[in-house]
Amino acid sequence: MPGVWILDPAPRMQNQSLMEDAVTATGIRPSDLPAPPKGAIRIVQACSRDGVDSGDLAAIVTNDPILTAELLRVANSAYFGLVSQVRSVPRAVAILGNRALRNLMLCISMRDALRAESIPGFDIEAYWEDALRRAVSARSLAAVAALDADECFTVGLLQDFGLLVMLYLNPQQVGHWQALARATPEARRELELELFHTSHDQVGLMLATNWGLPSDLGAAMGYHHEGPAEDTPQQGLSLRQVAACADWMAAVYRCDDKREAIQQTRTLLMTNFAVAAEQCDALLQSVSESLAEAATAMGMRVGEQIPFEGVLREANLRLAEENLSYQELTWRLEQTLAERNQIAGELQRELQLAREVQKSLLPASMLLPGISGLNLSARAVSGDFYDYYQLTDGRVAFCLADVSGKGMHAALLMAKTASLFRCLGKGIQEPGKLLAMLNREIFETSVRGMFVTMLAGVLDPSSGRVTLSSAGHLPALHLGGGALIAEYPAQAPPLGVNPDSLFPSDTFELRGGCLYLYTDGLLEAYVGDRRLEHDGLMRLLLQHAHLPLGKRAQAIAAAARNSNGGVEDDLTLVIIEDCGSHVRQ
Amino acid sequence: MSFPVEKRQGFLVVMLAGEVDLSRSPEARKVIMKALKKMHSVMVDMSRVEYIDSSGVASLVEGFQYARSNNLEFALAGVSEAAMNVLRLARLDQVFPIYASLEARLEAGA
Repeated sequence: MPGVWILDPAPRMQNQSLMEDAVTATGIRPSDLPAPPKGAIRIVQACSRDGVDSGDLAAIVTNDPILTAELLRVANSAYFGLVSQVRSVPRAVAILGNRALRNLMLCISMRDALRAESIPGFDIEAYWEDALRRAVSARSLAAVAALDADECFTVGLLQDFGLLVMLYLNPQQVGHWQALARATPEARRELELELFHTSHDQVGLMLATNWGLPSDLGAAMGYHHEGPAEDTPQQGLSLRQVAACADWMAAVYRCDDKREAIQQTRTLLMTNFAVAAEQCDALLQSVSESLAEAATAMGMRVGEQIPFEGVLREANLRLAEENLSYQELTWRLEQTLAERNQIAGELQRELQLAREVQKSLLPASMLLPGISGLNLSARAVSGDFYDYYQLTDGRVAFCLADVSGKGMHAALLMAKTASLFRCLGKGIQEPGKLLAMLNREIFETSVRGMFVTMLAGVLDPSSGRVTLSSAGHLPALHLGGGALIAEYPAQAPPLGVNPDSLFPSDTFELRGGCLYLYTDGLLEAYVGDRRLEHDGLMRLLLQHAHLPLGKRAQAIAAAARNSNGGVEDDLTLVIIEDCGSHVRQ
Repeated sequence: MSFPVEKRQGFLVVMLAGEVDLSRSPEARKVIMKALKKMHSVMVDMSRVEYIDSSGVASLVEGFQYARSNNLEFALAGVSEAAMNVLRLARLDQVFPIYASLEARLEAGA
């Protein structure tokens, strides 16, 4: 360990169990600690003895020429100003009294205990300026705490000495000094725990115990953040309170969050000493005013001090900035909401356009005699579609399809399939072959397993003959004479699943009946509180079979609408009627 | 909640359950595709599927197509009646390899 201490180590265990606790808490061994300043410790020990002779004290001080010079200089300073100038140690000891002498000796010794070079790269003057501000703050509280001013000063000066020790033992953490200095007392302690796995108060308590410092001073050093365990004597409570307040008072001038430091100082002073905000501000003001004088007295150097008004202005400015930030945040939020509404509006217009394009893919109502269709979409766009058109030989090609999934991707595949059907269907008039061609086309560009179930057919109106092929679609229902004539279930899987699928066709005659093609939106629709399912759908279709074709699809769909007049799922229905049957008869 | 996956005798078994509809099919798809990228043989245990819609079937189709183009094994096992009706109506029972139960496939060996 670097030999920076003036004197040899002489650890004196005042309380063995307290020391053991401290070792556990800090992870620091007593032998790691800096050695105590021997001259000062001798004075401290002598002062604590009953009936100590002032002559003996004077002899101890005189024995150390550096201490002697410093004692006379400090004692005669304006800050600690004695009533009259003293030129000899015995006179100083007589005027100061034991306690003041002890405190002064401690302050002087501790100041010189660690030198700048013992912590490489560390601005030790900045530390002592901060410590001095705590000392001055603590001294300013002496009157309200009914304590001795010099005693308070000493506590303030020494209460964070543990931090200096931690930096001395961990010089690699010196780079964090700025962050430590700018933090509020509590945040600083948190950061210490993170960096050193212990904190200045724990180390301070260990040091005080190890060096045999007076117990109330040790208690103030060790318990100004957290009190001791409840079962230990509550020593020096006022002094601890002074130390806690001094910590925050100094932070007002040092830390980044001045507003919080001022607020916390006011709260602490009110709670501990019933000091009102105005008086608190006056005390804070006295700190900056007294600091230079105290520094001179202690032989320390401090930078230019910002008066309390300046600190207050900075805190208020920050508050204003925060308010401004809040206003800006509100403004940005409003902007974002406006943008969102604009995008939602644009999307809505796009969807409307997509819907119109989709509708245009459906055939016009009752374009051809004997065939009618209807499509209701549950969303803006639909994954269902149907189509029919007349072939050159007078027959009618028709289809009904359902794309897997919902939404825009289903609508796009629907548009593609509908276009392919209309385009290829005019050339490939055999439904099975047409489905095979569509299947290969859709499979080639299939994504995410999407597929299309489709019923495709050709109706010869003159004969009532239908050729029908199904790619995985729900069975087509052939109804007539108030009953089911036949069902035509799929004989092949949906389009887009397997490129090699074959699509057989059925050919049959309508014989005066009707062929119903539908999607699951109708099959699974609720009528009352029950899903239609197969039998319910059959009943519904038969109930409406007497209606003219132009009105039938609408009436069937109306029965399947929900209470809001909408549909739960895309619903599509195509009805093919044997319109030439009466001519044939 | 995701669908559980178990490793059994050289197979990754994806256990679909409940309603595999528009809201849950993206998760089913994710689990199936992840399993296929991890293991050569993937089985989908469908014994506890109560309902499956076309988006749920699409996630099975995607798994089937991916396995086919990458020479992997993809099969369904113990398909519940509700799911089987859907597959049968769409003739997808002709497409997917389907086993009566998980054990039936495991006993068949490689």
